[in-house]
Amino acid sequence: MHLVIAKVDEVLFEGEAYSLTIPATAGEMTVLGHHEPLITTLKAGEARVHLAAGDNPKLFAISGGVLEVRADGATVIL
Amino acid sequence: MAGLKQIKTKIVAMKKSQTVTKAMEAVSAAKMRKAQQTALKGRAYARAAASTLSRLSGSREIAAHPLSTVRSVERALYIVITSDKGLAGGLNSGVLKAAAREIKASGLDTKDVSIIAVGRKANDYFTARGYRVEAFHPNNTEVSGDVVRSLVNEAAQRFAAQSVDKVFIVYQNFVSTFEQRPTLRTVFPLSAEDLRAVVEDITPKKGAFAGDSSAPTSAVYTLEPSEAEVLNTILPMLASIIVYHALLESQASEHSARMVAMKSASDKAGEKQDELTLQFNKARQAAITREVSEITGGMEAMAL
Repeated sequence: MHLVIAKVDEVLFEGEAYSLTIPATAGEMTVLGHHEPLITTLKAGEARVHLAAGDNPKLFAISGGVLEVRADGATVIL
Repeated sequence: MAGLKQIKTKIVAMKKSQTVTKAMEAVSAAKMRKAQQTALKGRAYARAAASTLSRLSGSREIAAHPLSTVRSVERALYIVITSDKGLAGGLNSGVLKAAAREIKASGLDTKDVSIIAVGRKANDYFTARGYRVEAFHPNNTEVSGDVVRSLVNEAAQRFAAQSVDKVFIVYQNFVSTFEQRPTLRTVFPLSAEDLRAVVEDITPKKGAFAGDSSAPTSAVYTLEPSEAEVLNTILPMLASIIVYHALLESQASEHSARMVAMKSASDKAGEKQDELTLQFNKARQAAITREVSEITGGMEAMAL
């Protein structure tokens, strides 16, 4: 899935990713490709991005924001 | 006729001014390119947030949210963005005049208008005219997320607490290197139309920084934990896009306006130098002619 993680003044990640694990307000969740459309708020914690199944994840510290999941990808705005 | 020495001094002074204006022109050109590139980086965020909003904009919750309620305007807050430094042509006076005109047109008393000044020029202008400047941010570094956040917080708090009924932002919109236009936008109450206008501005129609602004596909979304919660988080973000974009636009405008102003100053200095050199040569020629005629006059007197 196509993933974008962006702050107002910089783009932290943009590209293809296998999965995204992120602390949503309702609890930690993992998004894979073809997830149902969803908009959720985030709480402080750590977002993990796997570029391929089972590899070392890229880590991003976040302090809140919004996750939007569409049919063609996901966007995290912090 | 002015003495030779004085003219010479003027020429040297003119040459020195030209060196300075040429250097400032080069610096502004570099800064302008950088500002345009920063604007490009912020676009992903703006597009993402705008598409999220466009999917929420149909909801009834959004109209009832404290940051998007429309009230009759009795007190207004203006965020005015200028530069810290001058020497940028009509850049700052354009913004300040536009802001003053809007305030006058709104019919509000001076005491019902509050100002958040970004840039020293705006601060000086409104302080001198007796307006209440509630906050002042210098505008001398690159636009950072911190400034954007504090501006949005200051405005959102006042709006949500109903101490102001409308929040405007006035800045110089970057049209091209040679053209900047003073622009006024509403920050609060937030509306989908205002945001759409900003996003359209971010994506230029032509030129090196043009990009696609394809319409997002609509879908039914699950909102977690609730629509109100999502709106609480996302509305300040949308406001921050408007503010961030305004700051970037005004910096790009500042640098290009200064570049153009310095270019014409350099040209003028060159012209003046030519003029003075001509004057210098004429004066020198006149002095020589006088000396020669004195000598020949003296010789003729002795020959008699």
